[in-house]
Amino acid sequence: MNKLIVKKAAVLGAGVMGAQIAAHLANANVPVVLFDLPAKEGDKNGIVHRALEGLKRLEPGPLANKARLKYIDAANYEEHLSLLGECDLVIEAIAERMDWKNDLYARIAPHLGASAVIASNTSGLSINSLADGLPEAVRPRFCGIHFFNPPRYMHLVEIIATRGSDAATLDALETWLTSRLGKGVIRALDTPNFVANRIGVFSILAVMHHTAAFGLGFDEVDALTGPRIGRPKSATYRTADVVGLDTLAHVVKTMQDTLPGDPWHAHFKTPDWLSALIGKGALGQKTRCGIFRKQGRDIQVLDVGLQDYRNSAGTIADEVGEILKIRNPAEKFAALRASAHPQGQFLWAIFRDIFHYAAVHLENVADNARDLDLAMRWGFGWAQGPFETWQAAGWSAIAQAIAADIAAGKAMSDAPLPGWALEAGRTGVHTPQGSYSASRNAYAARSALPVYQRQLFPERVLGEGAATPEKSGETLYENDGVRLWKLAAVDAGIGIISFKSKMHSVGNEVMDGLIAAVRQAEQTLDGVVIWHEAPFAVGANLQQVGEACAGGHFDMLERTVEKFQRASQILKYAQVPTVAAVQGMALGGGCEFVMHSAKRVLALESYVGLVEAGVGLIPAGGGCKEFAVRAADWAAQSATPGELFDFLQPVFQNIAMAKVAKSAVEAIDMGFARPSDTILFNAHELLFVAIREARAMADAGYAPPLMPRAIPVSGRNGIATLEMMLVNMKEGGMISAHDYRVAKAAATALCGGDIETGALVDEEWLITVERQLFVELLKTPETQARIKHMLETGKPLRN
Amino acid sequence: MTKQIQDAYIVAATRLPVAKRNGMFRYVRPDDMLAFVIKSVVEQVPGIDPARIGDVIVGCAMPEADQGMNVARIGLLLAGLPITVPGITINRFCSSGVQAVADAANQIRLGLADVMIAAGTESMTVMPQMMGNKMSMNPAIFAREENIAIAYGMGLTAERVANQWKIGREAQDAFALASNQKACAAIAAGHFKAETTPYTVRENLPDLKTGQVRVRERIVEHDEGPRADASLEKLGKLRPVFHARGSVTAGNSSQMSDGAAAVMLVSEKVLKEHNLTPLARFAGYAVGGVAPEIMGIGPIAAIPKVLEQVGIKQDDLDWIELNEAFAAQSLAVMNELGIDPGKVNPLGGAIALGHPLGATGAIRIATVAHGLKRTGGKYGMVTMCIGTGMGAAGIIEAL
Repeated sequence: MNKLIVKKAAVLGAGVMGAQIAAHLANANVPVVLFDLPAKEGDKNGIVHRALEGLKRLEPGPLANKARLKYIDAANYEEHLSLLGECDLVIEAIAERMDWKNDLYARIAPHLGASAVIASNTSGLSINSLADGLPEAVRPRFCGIHFFNPPRYMHLVEIIATRGSDAATLDALETWLTSRLGKGVIRALDTPNFVANRIGVFSILAVMHHTAAFGLGFDEVDALTGPRIGRPKSATYRTADVVGLDTLAHVVKTMQDTLPGDPWHAHFKTPDWLSALIGKGALGQKTRCGIFRKQGRDIQVLDVGLQDYRNSAGTIADEVGEILKIRNPAEKFAALRASAHPQGQFLWAIFRDIFHYAAVHLENVADNARDLDLAMRWGFGWAQGPFETWQAAGWSAIAQAIAADIAAGKAMSDAPLPGWALEAGRTGVHTPQGSYSASRNAYAARSALPVYQRQLFPERVLGEGAATPEKSGETLYENDGVRLWKLAAVDAGIGIISFKSKMHSVGNEVMDGLIAAVRQAEQTLDGVVIWHEAPFAVGANLQQVGEACAGGHFDMLERTVEKFQRASQILKYAQVPTVAAVQGMALGGGCEFVMHSAKRVLALESYVGLVEAGVGLIPAGGGCKEFAVRAADWAAQSATPGELFDFLQPVFQNIAMAKVAKSAVEAIDMGFARPSDTILFNAHELLFVAIREARAMADAGYAPPLMPRAIPVSGRNGIATLEMMLVNMKEGGMISAHDYRVAKAAATALCGGDIETGALVDEEWLITVERQLFVELLKTPETQARIKHMLETGKPLRN
Repeated sequence: MTKQIQDAYIVAATRLPVAKRNGMFRYVRPDDMLAFVIKSVVEQVPGIDPARIGDVIVGCAMPEADQGMNVARIGLLLAGLPITVPGITINRFCSSGVQAVADAANQIRLGLADVMIAAGTESMTVMPQMMGNKMSMNPAIFAREENIAIAYGMGLTAERVANQWKIGREAQDAFALASNQKACAAIAAGHFKAETTPYTVRENLPDLKTGQVRVRERIVEHDEGPRADASLEKLGKLRPVFHARGSVTAGNSSQMSDGAAAVMLVSEKVLKEHNLTPLARFAGYAVGGVAPEIMGIGPIAAIPKVLEQVGIKQDDLDWIELNEAFAAQSLAVMNELGIDPGKVNPLGGAIALGHPLGATGAIRIATVAHGLKRTGGKYGMVTMCIGTGMGAAGIIEAL
């Protein structure tokens, strides 16, 4: 098999994972048949229907939009097995019981398509043993395919080959998973819990072990093991609550049962306090009580010493906090190791033991250190895997320290570090040539699969030494806010505009740079793409706006807004195609640049919205203007070309409520992007595709759109009709007086101002209306208070 | 009592079962519903030559789109009435149906006609928004504070009434529960049978598996709205819809519905000619205005007027159909006027049975007319509040 074509897929098992995997397949335009057992009463597809209903309520949402649900057909094993014959990919995701899986495989085998790929989403059972339950003819097309929860959002998928898996089939599957589903694929070996869970669950056990050893509170440990050390905000114990304490205990039990020879086996047990919680039914988030619980407005944490809950505090000692601020990793680790504070000792201990564990097991669980590190990044949300952290901190010094602690009996196991880790002269495991493979005692280069050529700047592990985008290509123009550059090897005629500001916010220097870069591109290039790593742009530079407000420089602010509008218009009417390559947040002004570009290439995980209302403002970088124009366009294509209101109403609601699209698909639904735009599931492919889109547009003889004339607007009646909604919301206690004022300004801008309904205007008129309303709002104390509050707290103020 | 030339008598009154919005009449057009009830009511009085019908007056609160184009004329032609019979669509929002009965009666009372049909039809399923197919407010409404309440949604006015008349959440939910319980009991006892004409819903639906058109037919006999499983506990869990800290919920508000009804009225002359036994005599009808922001209290402006017009006291009424737009306004009206709750909506109200806006008045005239006959009562009233601040009340007398 050279290419995997999945016209239809089946997922067996409508549990938490199965249903969400089905949802993500539907997100990727793959119709799915979702199977489960026949219900004993009523509709035989009842179990699946309930699971599908559940998908609508899950947060974060597994569906790119709710309409995708229509592409998942409910089925049961009793009536619909014949449907499997139409499916090119069958993913089994039933409960983790070898006997149940074997029974199911026997039932489905006669119905499978002759070339269908069959995969198990087991998180721990032996893939080779599972393969034994399949007919011989199917085995070459069978493998493990381990998604992480939630599968739409977690980048990692582990592919586990069996002894009989066909290599070309797995390559085709990896290609498909990478590009079509947007996943980060790691090839794991067939060992219990595979890579990420093996290391990640050990890490949780190590944290639990040292929490008790150093007498720390769970809240304290979460403060220490979250973003401060490059791990997710939910840190350790909060993550356990989210995962489910019973689930965690089950995984630990699997390790206990299946890894008897592991030198750390003595630690593969559920702590008593955790067993007690599970016994009481306190299973974490799903039961609203676990290690943490919410009491009124307070978050409380279990205190093992008190045998009760207390208010969560979670403070980091000043001296440890100072150590964590040290930028040089070698100095930081040395300081942690030398720290007398229990928190410092704790941090050193958890790192030491995870380094130790990963080094000892690398040979058995992964082909190479890069796979292991990336698995931890993509499967557990760590900023760096254990080997890169170790390498950054100075390989040799850390290795010696670990060895010393093993010798001193401080480590969780007395298993010696493997010889390769202690080799003289070793500076790490990651090199530009490849990453160390303990099983082969060689350095493994990155995969040569062609799909990876679409990733111009793939995610690199520390030590790989590849150039970052900022230092790549040829710079054509640069100021403080923007760099215009090109990758001649990819396309010498397409420029790349990258924002340099923090979170890619749009300030004066970005606007100046953008205008200059597009002007230069018009003269010297065939097209431009706006691309940088996520986020695309979090909006206007509020700091600059806040300072100007405080100084009363409203004339200057109006000129700045005018410049913003000019930048948007330049993007829209440039003589070369402008392609926005969007990933992550594209909010406020960022959204307006997205809207004004000639085309958009969006990662599925794009969160686009006009959120200005949150700081008491309206979109004024052309956002209101653009929607007024689009409403006129949409109406013109309808049977009642003069009736704009139905098109404006949903847009108004989105702007007034600062609603953000939760996927690229929703961005199209909400009108921020267009149905003809391109959606990519793998954000690493954005630049590659955006350049190609720009090239195709240029080669097709791109001409900018004509600036519309005689745009009908909804005018006074439109404003009044939108105001009716606002009156009800205000009188209903749902919005404040200032919300009302802001939303009315948005209504006025969208309707073209207080002019007659159906009057004809041009873009300049609309731009002027939105700008004047924006500046009027800026002058209000309530809007100024909102801006100040956002700058100080990062959260919107309701006033 | 106001002078009149002659009395008008109701000789037939029938209705469709009321469907939930997007429910069993999802694919049934409002003009088809109207045609059906017109045909049914004419068939119930076989001796009368349909050509004698002076006019067909049809109430409809949103007379546009599927129910636009003067739906009265379309409905009567589709019903097979002679082309010489005219039709007019009228609109006073929620009272349109009873207004149609009053207008038809008045034609007879004035001696201008001997046979009239009054009807109401409304499909809320075909309405894309509660305010019709094209919302467009007058900017002048927002120019003066005293006019802003014109823009209030009905639910918000119910919150205002609840506050002003101190109707708490528990009382509203209890009222809503009673409405459902009474409606379910009435259906079980067959009390709606006499007033309802069963309707055969015929749907042509695509069978995508076979590529054939699948024709689905079913006869519907009962109102779709009443909830047998309603409970105070369930009602209490619903969140307020119209005010962040309010008490009006989906459970203690009327349901959005589809429905139609028709009533035939004749003069005494026709009664004698055909030896007909009337269901009731049309006794009187009045409307009055209140502040738009408390529109739900509207009946208090209409009920005293109509009682005076008819020349009876409130206590003389045996059956009161008080449209349950919201439990809050129903209770406020009852409290304000001292209405005996035992006489109000004995078979349940709009919270359970549904409220297809312009059809409701005609539907409930059918309920009272048949209900009085069944129970031996004398005077019955249909009353309701009306959006933008009005109330209507019509009284009939069983004979």
